[in-house]
Amino acid sequence: MTGDAPWYEAAMVVGITNALNVVADGLGALMTPVKPGACPAEVGAIYDDIRAFYGGSGEIPTPFGLAAQDPGYLGDLWAAVKRAFTDNQLSRRLKTSLAFAVSLTTRSAFGTAFHLTEMRRLGVGQGGIMEIVGVTQMFSSYTKIADTLQLEPDMGDIAPVDQTPAPGGSPPA
Amino acid sequence: MPTVRLRDGAEYPEPARRAFELSKQWFRYDFPQPAAMTRVMAWDPHFGGPHGRAMKRAMAPGEFSRGEKEMVAAAVSGVNACDY
Repeated sequence: MTGDAPWYEAAMVVGITNALNVVADGLGALMTPVKPGACPAEVGAIYDDIRAFYGGSGEIPTPFGLAAQDPGYLGDLWAAVKRAFTDNQLSRRLKTSLAFAVSLTTRSAFGTAFHLTEMRRLGVGQGGIMEIVGVTQMFSSYTKIADTLQLEPDMGDIAPVDQTPAPGGSPPA
Repeated sequence: MPTVRLRDGAEYPEPARRAFELSKQWFRYDFPQPAAMTRVMAWDPHFGGPHGRAMKRAMAPGEFSRGEKEMVAAAVSGVNACDY
């Protein structure tokens, strides 16, 4: 995993995971999702794509059901989520595991359950799940000790700088 | 600025200095001083020892590679807003 590309992907997974979680956890009990059987055709097509991406289950994850009140917004949100989690430099399996770790760390009941189910569906065994739990737990300790003591990073200058241009762009002059 | 004075590696007792060598191997980088958290954890070996072993166990390759786990650790650190 050299170069910046995997880190850009990871950051986008972390961000969009948090975006889904805040709405699901904050509004899931307060707002009614748009039901699959009672939605416009535009939403129905997106719902079909969502179901297919998540293994054909009938359930539409809460944040998409809530977003569907504005079909245009749902379309863009879903496109971003699908892009973030699709295999690329990082595998979907790792991206889902990152999303699980982020959800656990931020105490998102929705995200933790959702991505745990996804990890299992994607073939991560109980041992692998506990590996991610272990990393999440130990770094939740490590980071708080470091923050309490206000330590300054000593790893910052170690990684080599990736001089490649942005995708499709040109190298710096 | 740290809330404590981080002691140089040479200020630690011999068992801790041996642990610093192991830490260097783990990071595969020759820091001028042992990493700050390595020195913090060496302050109390009865805490830092088992904590470090649990950390090393958690980060060891298994279903996920060490590199993948470092990325998970970075994400966890990021959402914890930890600059270190």
